[in-house]
Amino acid sequence: MAEPPPPLPDFSQSVKLKYVKLGYQYLVNNFLVFLLVPVIVALTLELIHSNPHDLIHLWNSMQLTSLHILCSFFLIIYTLTFFLMSRPRPIYLVDYALFKPPRSFRVSFGGFMEHARIVLADEPKSVHFQMKILQRSGLGEETCIPPAMHFIPPRPTMQLAREEAELVIFSAMDSLFQKTGLKPKDVDILVLNCSLFSPTPSLTAMVINKYKMRSNIKSFNLSGMGCSAGLISVDLAKDLLHRYPNSNAVVISTEILTPNSYLGKERAMLLPNCLFRMGGAAILLSNRRADRRRAKYRLAHVVRTHKGADDRAYGCVAQEEDSEGHIGIKLNIDLMTIAGEALKSNITTIGPLVLPASEQLLFAFSLIRRKFFNSKSKPYIPDFKQAFEHFCIHAGGRAVIDELQKSLRLTNEQVEASRMTLHRFGNTSSSSLWYELSYIESKGRMKKGDRVWQIAFGSGFKCNSAVWKCNRTIKSPVDGPWADCIHKYPVYIPEVIKI
Amino acid sequence: MVSSPMSEGLIYDKKLSSVGPAYATDPDLVYEPRNLDLAMKLHFLRGIYYFERQAFEGLTILAIKEPMFDWLNKYPVTSGRFRRAESGRAYIKCNDCGVRFLEAKCDKTLEEWLEIRDASLEKLLVSNQIIGPELGFSPLIFIQLTKFKCGGTSLGLSWAHVLGDAFSAAEFLSMLGRLVAGQDLGPPFDLAQSLTKSVISHDPPKVAEDPIAVKRVEPVGDNWLTPTKFKVEPFYFDVTATHLAHLQSKVGPKFGPFEAISAIIWKCIAKIRGKEMESNVVTICKKSEEGNKVYGMLGNTQVVSVVKADFPIVDAEPSVLAKLMREEAFDMRDKIDEAMARENGVVDYVIYGANMTFVNLEDAKFYDFEYRGQKPVRVSYWVDGVGDEGAVLVLPGTNEGGGGRAVVAILPEEEIVRFEAELKRERLIA
Repeated sequence: MAEPPPPLPDFSQSVKLKYVKLGYQYLVNNFLVFLLVPVIVALTLELIHSNPHDLIHLWNSMQLTSLHILCSFFLIIYTLTFFLMSRPRPIYLVDYALFKPPRSFRVSFGGFMEHARIVLADEPKSVHFQMKILQRSGLGEETCIPPAMHFIPPRPTMQLAREEAELVIFSAMDSLFQKTGLKPKDVDILVLNCSLFSPTPSLTAMVINKYKMRSNIKSFNLSGMGCSAGLISVDLAKDLLHRYPNSNAVVISTEILTPNSYLGKERAMLLPNCLFRMGGAAILLSNRRADRRRAKYRLAHVVRTHKGADDRAYGCVAQEEDSEGHIGIKLNIDLMTIAGEALKSNITTIGPLVLPASEQLLFAFSLIRRKFFNSKSKPYIPDFKQAFEHFCIHAGGRAVIDELQKSLRLTNEQVEASRMTLHRFGNTSSSSLWYELSYIESKGRMKKGDRVWQIAFGSGFKCNSAVWKCNRTIKSPVDGPWADCIHKYPVYIPEVIKI
Repeated sequence: MVSSPMSEGLIYDKKLSSVGPAYATDPDLVYEPRNLDLAMKLHFLRGIYYFERQAFEGLTILAIKEPMFDWLNKYPVTSGRFRRAESGRAYIKCNDCGVRFLEAKCDKTLEEWLEIRDASLEKLLVSNQIIGPELGFSPLIFIQLTKFKCGGTSLGLSWAHVLGDAFSAAEFLSMLGRLVAGQDLGPPFDLAQSLTKSVISHDPPKVAEDPIAVKRVEPVGDNWLTPTKFKVEPFYFDVTATHLAHLQSKVGPKFGPFEAISAIIWKCIAKIRGKEMESNVVTICKKSEEGNKVYGMLGNTQVVSVVKADFPIVDAEPSVLAKLMREEAFDMRDKIDEAMARENGVVDYVIYGANMTFVNLEDAKFYDFEYRGQKPVRVSYWVDGVGDEGAVLVLPGTNEGGGGRAVVAILPEEEIVRFEAELKRERLIA
């Protein structure tokens, strides 16, 4: 999709502006340096000019007894120790593993539409609607759905749901154990999130049973929390790792599709059928010093924003029964607006934590101006490109990615990971952020010191973000779900695909 | 087909799904059937392969389906759907829609089933669908996997003849066996990017007669069902080695089993139909010598020839008929090709059953399809969409048959009883 060429600005003007901007950023971000350096230089000059006698005289005039010195010494030691001990333990992401669906679960556009026509033979309008959604969805022809949904009509039995859960979770876990060398008995904390399938015994119990984990493991099974639950699990694991020293945590994020195949004809509820696909991720987090060197990332921040207090936001993604009794997830028409508002809230909180001082100052000025002088002027949107090298936007759908690209003023390369994950794997719900991260690594773009921003939206309405800092440069080729197809990406995704 | 009380509930626990290529085919790719392929479009091959317990033992349905995705990846055409070009000529859009797959269970054991040998019951093991009423949503192939009570399994293949002849279908299925055995099938067969055959001809339509090998039927549009006056049904019988030897002694040692069987049957049919209705033109189909240029490729390459007898068949000697079949068969493929080209591929022809048709499938490699080292214990084949004159397929005998042949006669329903009686008289069957 070619963008119209920008109007050619006055060359000299633009160069001047660019240098002014750069100068301003450099000045504000290194303000302390600019402040301290002259002071230090002045002191040093003073020291050089004065002779030793003056210095000894100064020392004697302070009348410091040994007690004073000893107390000051201990005060310094005590303050330093207190400071070091109270700092939160760094949380490392040692490695993560992703579920790669077998090729036999693949669904093509033609196959999807043909099945839809047979299942909804009496509802041509609903079938036509699904086709329009699919054509504009941004999905490719290699996404996968579980066996239960391949049947005509789909057979969402509990047995098949359990089989899907076992397949997805166990293969991600096996891969994680193999990649990290972790032994199942060494897992201290287990957090699993799966929004729509919550059997008894729980999925965490299923994992603990399969891998024979310890009896004093701390396990948590989060259900019903939507597509942003992946970062909620990470947040929970982080809090637990802050509490328990020398531990590790396994976080499993997945969405089991089998029980949620919608069999009715309501259009607002047919959308998830078209977009949701199989996926799962298993992540190993640790606070052990020994993992410091081999860890891929360090967790910098997790910011969670919940707009549930607002009725509109609360009701915009809801699971309900349609008029015929079929249960499905209804997506409201103002979803994008609410997502935008939630994002703004989240940005307001995360901005001060990650933005360089230059951007924060500009944002503060703009805020003051809007409040006191001219409330109609456009709010200044900070340039997040200065705070992060990589962006992982939840691949909820093409509209979400387009909207975020516009509002955060991101380049095509920065949203490439999200778009390509949507194309290759579809909307895998809470695990999509991890597929996107794997894409960036597989492309060889992840260097030490790079900062990554993961943003996820979910029902509630929630907007959660996590910020990671890359601990070591990750060399490609990377062993993961992209290994056999990364060379084909990025692909061009047309606005409307002809089926 | 009237479902007898016996057939109800016999096949149960049906689960319908689709299997398709493992990798995405470029959606712009198309396949244009040639004129000879389009001439066969109203016919559908139905084949059933019976396997003993060991072949599929211990395999879940997912484990059985998985290799099929790599297998179908080699033949993206089979997962496509028909469309019509502007000129009206049908072509296949390779859009990965897939092949329909049905799993089912049967109450009987394999042994019990094979003893019944009822043609109408065998129809339960394979799909009876045709292409239509909507071209774009009709699968070209249906596969049905039926598990018997003892663990034996039958694989029913329903195959649109427009894709290829029975020799191609046999080869296609053998590829699955080879893949399961661990062989790499290689890259998918090449496809075309654009339509080259579907050109609207601006020349004035040439009026010419249809070749005698074909019968033009009323336009069927997008519902590829052969219109017939009578209801044709298949009738099976096995010709054991001893009967075959006896037959060949009647006909003469020079002629092979196919010619011997065909000659006798031609006579029997002539007797049943009487002098006015007797068919003194027959069509003979057999494997072509050159075969397909590319190994494993699909297509209708079988030889279609006609034989004309200038004398009444009823009184003729079988050896004379056999000699006629062998030496005076005119290859009609070029004429059919021309006729179809004249009509831009839009006309609807019937070949099997336009005249009494004898199809020599002796060389078809049905028993080459091995699943995990197991050969099928029996293979049944017949054709749907046969015209009123009927057709006879001569298949290879079962492995234990030791030189016998399996024969399927597809005839108007009323003729079958008399036909059976005639066969007994000729001592073709016991």
